[in-house]
This record gives sequence, structure tokens and C-alpha cells, in this order.
Amino acid sequence: MNGGTADAPSDPIEDYLDRLLISLSGSPRQVRHTLAEVEAHLHDAVAEGIAAGLPEETAQVQALERIGPVHAVTGRPAGIARPSAALLRRLTLTAALVGGAGLAAIGVAGLVGRLLQVVKGNLFMTTPFPPGTYTQADCARWLAGDPGTRSCVTAMLADHAFDYLLQAAACGLLGLAGLATYLFLRRRWSDRATTTALPAGTAEGLGAILAGIAAVACFGQAADLETVQRGVGVGEPLSLGIAAAVAAVAFALALRHRLRVARLRAS
Amino acid sequence: MKAEKLKGHLDLLLLSVLSRGPGHGYEVITRLRVRSDGAFQLPEGTVYPALHRLEGAGLLVSGWDVVAGRRRRIYHLTPAGEAALAEQAAQWREFSGSMARVLGVSAGPAPAAAGGAA
Repeated sequence: MNGGTADAPSDPIEDYLDRLLISLSGSPRQVRHTLAEVEAHLHDAVAEGIAAGLPEETAQVQALERIGPVHAVTGRPAGIARPSAALLRRLTLTAALVGGAGLAAIGVAGLVGRLLQVVKGNLFMTTPFPPGTYTQADCARWLAGDPGTRSCVTAMLADHAFDYLLQAAACGLLGLAGLATYLFLRRRWSDRATTTALPAGTAEGLGAILAGIAAVACFGQAADLETVQRGVGVGEPLSLGIAAAVAAVAFALALRHRLRVARLRAS
Repeated sequence: MKAEKLKGHLDLLLLSVLSRGPGHGYEVITRLRVRSDGAFQLPEGTVYPALHRLEGAGLLVSGWDVVAGRRRRIYHLTPAGEAALAEQAAQWREFSGSMARVLGVSAGPAPAAAGGAA
């Protein structure tokens, strides 16, 4: 068999392995292992043919006929590309971690928002509707929810701030459920195929990027409100920005740890 | 024998072959061919997804070793694989015995459970 250059088109074994490489699904490690296995198999089969007295070219053809088409090795019909079960499991874990942490961060933003509300008041937290955009019935509803005031705008601000904190708390609880799901599934899917289906630190890196973008966007909006509206309504984006920044730092630290562990395992 | 006929029995055959001792893919195929006196001819590539599936199910475990100057993935039967082999071999004996009685022919030598010949 020719050792062959990388692009030598005349070696049918190399051509077969090229086709197999682009047809295999799974983690990079699974693909490498299967390719190495099949390559060893074909070399053995060719060596057996040559030992039986066949010319090398004939032995190669016979070895390829015996192993069958590429889709026999991949275990699925030709032309159907689908992610492996391990990759789907790993994507689910990634979604649970990033989604859970994101929602939990919104919950943290609610806590920060509550603190800002106590210190700076409702006008700092949320922007009132412009006059003329709400009805007497709206006013009556807001005043009913805040019997301590007779001002429609004050009651409206209290109602909006309360809504924000309530929604943040709900997101936080959902986030905790998502993170609990992530921990449960990670224990259940701790097999090597799943853990290596994506490069180490993918979830942490994705989380850091998304949280970083969210932090920049929220801080930008807070800065804009501070400038344009003289601080009115800054509290919501500011609290979200702080929580997103904390999440970004946490993800970045987790990413650094994950990559360090992966490097140690590789060395 | 046609590959389609072997499809449903490939797991049992692979577990049985590996119950005689660990082996790499090509070795497993060669043993299968030799032990069936050349009757079991299937596209050899189909053995690999089956081996990987059995490993994923915890019935086999694999490790890499250098044999005859080449890196090989060597498959071993796990205790769960031995138990599965014993169970599947018993089911096969029952099935083939019933078929033989219905057809009025001899069932031939029964396949052995884990650790034995299949």
C-alpha cells in the first residue's frame, strides 16, 4: 500500500478513509478512534490478501469489498447526517447551564433592584408612562395597590417596580430549577462520549460571552437613561447589568478552571 | 449466510466471540468467520457500530494497545456483558429448540453461555 501524500488520489484505502472521516458523527475523539480502528482493519485485510498471494492493488480492492460501504461503518444510511446522542446530551447540558445561570442572574438582578429601590426609590427604578397614555381606570388600579399614596404617578411607579421585582424573582426560581436540572443531568450523563462531545469549556465560554454582551447592553442603557432622563428608570438596566457582569465573571472563572483541568488531563 | 439474517443476532455473536478473550475489531471478525466455517459473511464494517453500541451499553469496554506494531482498540467483555451473553444464549437455545421441534429436525449443538462456545 502506498504511504501516499495527503492528496494522493490513487490509493483506494486513503480515499475510503477520507470518505469515512467526513461521514462520521460524534465527538472529535470518537471520530479519531473509529478512523484509527478502521484504518488498522484495512491494513490488516490488505496484509492478509498479500500474504495469500494477491497483488497489492487486488488486496486493497478485496479489503474494501469486505468492509463494505462507508455507511456500514457509520451505522446509518448514506446521506443522513445527524448529531450523535452524545452531542445532543452535551448540548442539553450546555443549554441547561447557560439558560439556568442566565435566569438565576435575572433573579440576582431582582435582589440588586430591591436594594436600589430601598436606597434610591421607585423613580430611580422605573420610568413612568407619559401623561395621556393611561386611563383613569389604570390610575384607580394602581392606587388600589398602593393605598398609602394619593398620587397616580407614585402608585404607577410602585406598581411597575413591584412587577419588575416579581418577574425577576420568578426568573430566579426558574433559573435555580434549570441549574438543579443541569446538576442532575451532569451526574447522569458523565460518560466520556458526552463530556468530550464538545470542546472543554464550551458552555462556560458561551455563558461568559452572552453574559458579557448582556452586561454591556444593560450598562449602556443605564448610562443613556442617566444622561437623557437624569437618572429616571436607571435601576432596572443597572441591576440587570450588575447581575450580568457578575455572571460573566463567574463564567470566565469557570472557563479558566475548566481549561486548566483539560490541559492537566491532556499532559 | 446473508447479512440480513445475521442482523438480529450480531450482538449475541460478538459477545460470544469476545467471551473467548479480548480482541480488536479485525480479530473479532476473523474469529467469527473461522468459528462459523466461513458461513457468516457480512460487510465487516457493520461490526464496528455494533461494537460501539455494545460498549455504550456497558456490555463491552475497550482500551488501546499496540499489537504487531499497530495501535489497536481492544474490546473486553464486562460482567454485564457476560450476564447479557448468558441471557441471550439461553433465549437462543429456547428459540432454536422450539424451531427444531416444529420443523422436526435436529437443533444441533446448543450454543453455550458466557465463557463457553457459542
